Amino acid sequence: MGSPCEVLVDASREHTARAVAGAVAACASRVEQKFSRYRDDSIVSRINRAAGTPFEVDAETAKLLDFAEHMWRMSDGLFDISSGVLRRAWRFDGGTRVPTAAEIRELLPLVGWSRIRWQRPLLTLQPGMEIDFGGIGKEYAVDLALAAAARETDDPVLVNFGGDLAATGPQRDGRAWRVGVEGVSGPDIPWTLELAGGALATSGDTHRYVTADGKRRPHILDPRTGEPVRDAPRSITVAAATCTQAGTWCTLAMLQGAEAETFLARDGVRHWIQRD
Amino acid sequence: MANNDKRIGEALAVAACGLLGAAAPSASRAAEPGSGWDVDTAFLFYGESDGRVKDASVSALAIRDYGDERKLSLDMTLDTLTGASPNGAIASDLPQTFTSPSGRSTYTTPAGEIPLDSSFHDTRVALNASWSQPFARLYSVDAGLGFSSEIDYQHLGLNAGITRDFNQRNTTASFSVAYGFDTVKPVGGVPAPFAAMGDAVGEDDEGNASGQAGSNQDKKVLDVLAGFSQVLGRHSVLRVNYSYSDSSGYLTDPYKVLTVVDPVTGEPVLRTPPPGVEGPGGIYLFEHRPDSRRRQGLYTELRQDFSGNVLQLGYRYSTDDWGIDSHTLEGRLRFPLGESGYLEPHLRYYTQTAASFYRYSLANGAPLPEFASADARLADMDAYTVGVKYGHQTPQGNEWSARLEYYEQTAKAPAETLIGNQPGTVQMPDFSAVILQFSYHFKL
Repeated sequence: MGSPCEVLVDASREHTARAVAGAVAACASRVEQKFSRYRDDSIVSRINRAAGTPFEVDAETAKLLDFAEHMWRMSDGLFDISSGVLRRAWRFDGGTRVPTAAEIRELLPLVGWSRIRWQRPLLTLQPGMEIDFGGIGKEYAVDLALAAAARETDDPVLVNFGGDLAATGPQRDGRAWRVGVEGVSGPDIPWTLELAGGALATSGDTHRYVTADGKRRPHILDPRTGEPVRDAPRSITVAAATCTQAGTWCTLAMLQGAEAETFLARDGVRHWIQRD
Repeated sequence: MANNDKRIGEALAVAACGLLGAAAPSASRAAEPGSGWDVDTAFLFYGESDGRVKDASVSALAIRDYGDERKLSLDMTLDTLTGASPNGAIASDLPQTFTSPSGRSTYTTPAGEIPLDSSFHDTRVALNASWSQPFARLYSVDAGLGFSSEIDYQHLGLNAGITRDFNQRNTTASFSVAYGFDTVKPVGGVPAPFAAMGDAVGEDDEGNASGQAGSNQDKKVLDVLAGFSQVLGRHSVLRVNYSYSDSSGYLTDPYKVLTVVDPVTGEPVLRTPPPGVEGPGGIYLFEHRPDSRRRQGLYTELRQDFSGNVLQLGYRYSTDDWGIDSHTLEGRLRFPLGESGYLEPHLRYYTQTAASFYRYSLANGAPLPEFASADARLADMDAYTVGVKYGHQTPQGNEWSARLEYYEQTAKAPAETLIGNQPGTVQMPDFSAVILQFSYHFKL
């Protein structure tokens, strides 16, 4: 997952805790192996290598693609799993290089779900296009891992993959889980939230940005223009029933820039936004 | 989003459900610690049979969580008591007249009835505030302050406690101390021990129903509680508490009397007030209790969860140096009813032995004992409660509940406290009561 993964079990027996840990670890590594764009043997890498020709996907990948297509349509093209290509122009290494308009223009024809042909089970990308599940993969893994844990025990479980997390319910004594969210003022000053069930996802990694024109620009890119979103919050945390929903809300809200708060408030979504 | 009328939330929920399957949860329960107040409000009605005590009370408890388990609780109760209460005198074949506590008027009890003092009414206001927070790792501490006021009674209390978790929070030990400082200011003054109830003095005179020991008295109560709770497996919790209570000062009930009776017949000794004066038609002596009481108690409770049904069983044993030993057995079973409701039947049984100084009455001419009280609550006594509670959770997470209970109390005067023919005529002020409570829990 490229980040620390943990599972907390409020278990009365050690073997329960071990069984849960095993189930969660198995789930995490399966999702990682299958969907990571950093692994050559992942289905995502194979789809991208096959760009230009139809590629037959399995049922699970098909469900993820259905989800992506649905959210792309609902967000008028803001949620787009093909926008990763834009990373070729932008380097999120804390550097200062801003790509030229020409560089971005060159990449834009390779971005956009509308250029992708998705007819279950066949997916056809245009040559040079790429997809990745970076926006929802980790959150999806959290939801699957929690479901796997719940099959092992009735004891309360919290799954946390790099700050995206979900819990089956409150701890056995009825107390909510206390969750630290990394603050903008520094990693040593987390603020805490209480989670008695459901999920939390946070978007806006404070380590990934470029400094351009003396302004830090976070890594959220508008797939329609190729530009980073202006006035995007430093970080957005959303509470939702599932981590997948929470993560999607984060991505969509981040793309609203200055309107992120209004956007989330309008749908009555529980959120915590940090700005500079 | 360009197009505002699209319901992103619903679309997302549907899409996530398609991705994850129907087993996905449908709500999140995340909150900032310290966001708002948790408020419990309740209205309670307690009514005894035969027009005796009625109590209507409203209360509100508000808890604010400041995060990191630092909590402030504020508690307010307002209640009003009306009705009549036994004055301690025994029933007689003749009507009996008594002077009211104010000393300014009289009331008469018909023949054959247990004398009740109907001037019993009061309004009580109680306020409590407490703070709790973690202390070092695994410890939490709390401290509180309380105050209550009635016409004839004032209470000031302080408490502090410490709790420690062990064994990955499967075991919790706690220790707390409370100290109460009370002032009793009886209507009509504090009667001297065994003073005879005096004649009524009329509206204009200074009230003085009896020989007085001043206008107010103090009482101090120290309570110590040591508790232990243990998680037993996945579905049960055992709790054991030891309590120690030390009361000192004025522990007498200033309104209760004992009837002086003929040592042969056991009937009240008659008396005639001076001409033109209203006053008691018998000899009634104000009670006198020891000025200290030490009580110890042991309480065990088991909570067991069988697939959503929660059984709670409790047993309490208590003993004190007044000679009152008591046993309480209590059970509750909570089971789900409908989508978001529960039903909880409740049974409780209580039994106690009489205080060593309990007397049904006092024999005329016999030397006075050191202490004596005819309060039926100090006699041999059994009580039981049956009740049921229904609770319902609203979609917003608020909860309301209604509780209805029936209580019955029967007392018995120990045979050795009966005089002359009393074993054939003894009559105790038994009663039943109905308790009705509505409560509502919400977040602010």
